[in-house]
Amino acid sequence: MTADNSAGAPAPQSGLRDNRFAVRLESVLVLVVLIVALSILSPYFLSVSNFLNILLATSTIGVLGFGATFVIAAAGIDLSLGSVLALSGVVGALSVNALNLPWPVAIVACLAVGAFCGLINGVLNAKAGIPAFIVTLGMLGVARGLGLVFTNGQPVYGMPDPIVFLGQGRPFGVPMPVFIFLAVAIIAHFVLAFTRFGKYAQVIGDNEGAARAMGIQVDRHRIALYVVSGLLAGLAGLLFLARVNSGDPTAGLNYELTAITAAILGGTNLFGGRASVLGTLIGALVMGVLQNGLNLLAVSSFYQQMAIGAVLVLAVWLDQVNRARGQR
Amino acid sequence: MRIKTITIGLSAALLAAALAGPTSAQDKPVYGVLLKTLSNPFWGAMEQGIQDGTKEAGVEYFLQAVESDQAAEPQLNTCNTMLQRKPAVMITAAINSTILLPCLKQANEMGIPVVDLDANLDHEIAEKAGVKIAFTIGSDNTAAGGQGADFMAEKLKGKKGSILVIEGLAGNITGQKRAKGFADQLAKVAPDLKVVASLPGDWDRQKAANITNDTMTANPDLVGIFCANDTMALGAVESVYAAGKGGEIVVIGVDGNSDAVKSIKAGRLTASVAQLPYLVGKQAVEKAKEVLAGKTVDKFTYVQTLVLTKELMDAGNDPALQYVK
Repeated sequence: MTADNSAGAPAPQSGLRDNRFAVRLESVLVLVVLIVALSILSPYFLSVSNFLNILLATSTIGVLGFGATFVIAAAGIDLSLGSVLALSGVVGALSVNALNLPWPVAIVACLAVGAFCGLINGVLNAKAGIPAFIVTLGMLGVARGLGLVFTNGQPVYGMPDPIVFLGQGRPFGVPMPVFIFLAVAIIAHFVLAFTRFGKYAQVIGDNEGAARAMGIQVDRHRIALYVVSGLLAGLAGLLFLARVNSGDPTAGLNYELTAITAAILGGTNLFGGRASVLGTLIGALVMGVLQNGLNLLAVSSFYQQMAIGAVLVLAVWLDQVNRARGQR
Repeated sequence: MRIKTITIGLSAALLAAALAGPTSAQDKPVYGVLLKTLSNPFWGAMEQGIQDGTKEAGVEYFLQAVESDQAAEPQLNTCNTMLQRKPAVMITAAINSTILLPCLKQANEMGIPVVDLDANLDHEIAEKAGVKIAFTIGSDNTAAGGQGADFMAEKLKGKKGSILVIEGLAGNITGQKRAKGFADQLAKVAPDLKVVASLPGDWDRQKAANITNDTMTANPDLVGIFCANDTMALGAVESVYAAGKGGEIVVIGVDGNSDAVKSIKAGRLTASVAQLPYLVGKQAVEKAKEVLAGKTVDKFTYVQTLVLTKELMDAGNDPALQYVK
């Protein structure tokens, strides 16, 4: 994992910066400390199979987190991620299960439903001028409800083998979702950090007026960002569907908050401008490792939520302390 | 350096958490227990039964649960993590009928028998997914609904009127079985009592209270309410009292949780069809031990349910009452 110490250096605060691989040092530090501490504390923690377990457990949230990172980069927010995940998975499951379509349709359906929900979010936000918080909160309800309606509230069980392979297959002993998760991380990082699309997103988040003055088509760009986040939610829905071999309308409840937490933990600024997919990957892993470790230590789920909340605040605070020192 | 201090602090906190956690002796077999959540008296009583059961059986156990009974994928992740500890048996209360199947399949492959606690799995689907369930133990939810209907019919003997059924979370199998068991039995034993509405209350107290209000408005002749769990029954009964119909409308819940017991003793809630999660947990451990000893056990075990009323508790002589926690 590349991590230069840019958080401590006086970094320029504009969206167009050159620290393309920069991730918040503090979150890497927290991750390392967690891994070391848990290795000492639990005899079951430090093993290849357990690390694959952590990556598998983090894959859905991670992919959602990448989606969150894109919209937050442009000072937006997507609260519909968890619901869109569920709706996508449900539609994907029904396409082969109820409509008897061939299995590739399920993949396309998941992604298309996600992207479509994102499109609606984007258009309502950018063109109709409804605040992102409201639009996506509305979508949270609509998508969740639609999924329940389509399935009558019941999980739709049983997918064709190729789909199940996407979720449960283990080429070279590594779960398929982990491959997909990491591949998406690389692509998403490239798009956000190296392409004009990604850089403009951060410029918009940093200063929308300036972005407009630069000639960036802010509205269109914003819609595209919501489509990306919806698409990733659809992909997460596909992963979920494949992993549990059923389209579950109650899947992904409150995942949007966890996904946003991963992004923030990774150094993305909740108010836009500064965003890193690599950081979100680290942020998601911090939560995954923490949860896994506390499970292995048989710590009650009550304390687990406290721990994750505390780590979030701690990481952001460390970041601010360092940033302030850097600017002095 | 500041970060160093915090790093050390974090490690210390983790160490403290680890020391505070249960330590397991490696010489005894360790049973893995995965529940839905602990923020509910039902599961608390279940855990108590498991604890007492393991103590008597002379085995260790480690117990995990997730933050809510809706957190399906987190439960799957937790299940996978538990397998890292290679428990002798996995006793699981799955959040829905399919979510844990990949993990349980892996457990089977590791030679770990799987117990379906509280009857959340579908044996047919599980078999298709390659999961062999050692046995299912829980309460018969259909029968519990039926018991509620029998009680309602007796309580309202000779009366005519409307009945409201408040179901659980849409699509939840437990709630469906209870509601259906109630409606089917009521149609048999009390043809004069008509179910005018059967609505999902999503296990939520507030929602059940609102449904009750609306239904009382639409049906002034409402004489009875059956709720698929106690939480909703407690909401419904508050609406009944607020409307000045306290004591006139019979309100029945299911579970027999401690809040419901209090309300019944206070003369507000009419009755609750009590499950005995303590017994379910205890017997699950006992049977799991038999499975591990190579004995064959019944595929399904249904633990009795009990209609809790003020009279029954005041009399206090039913032997099953000792398991009501």
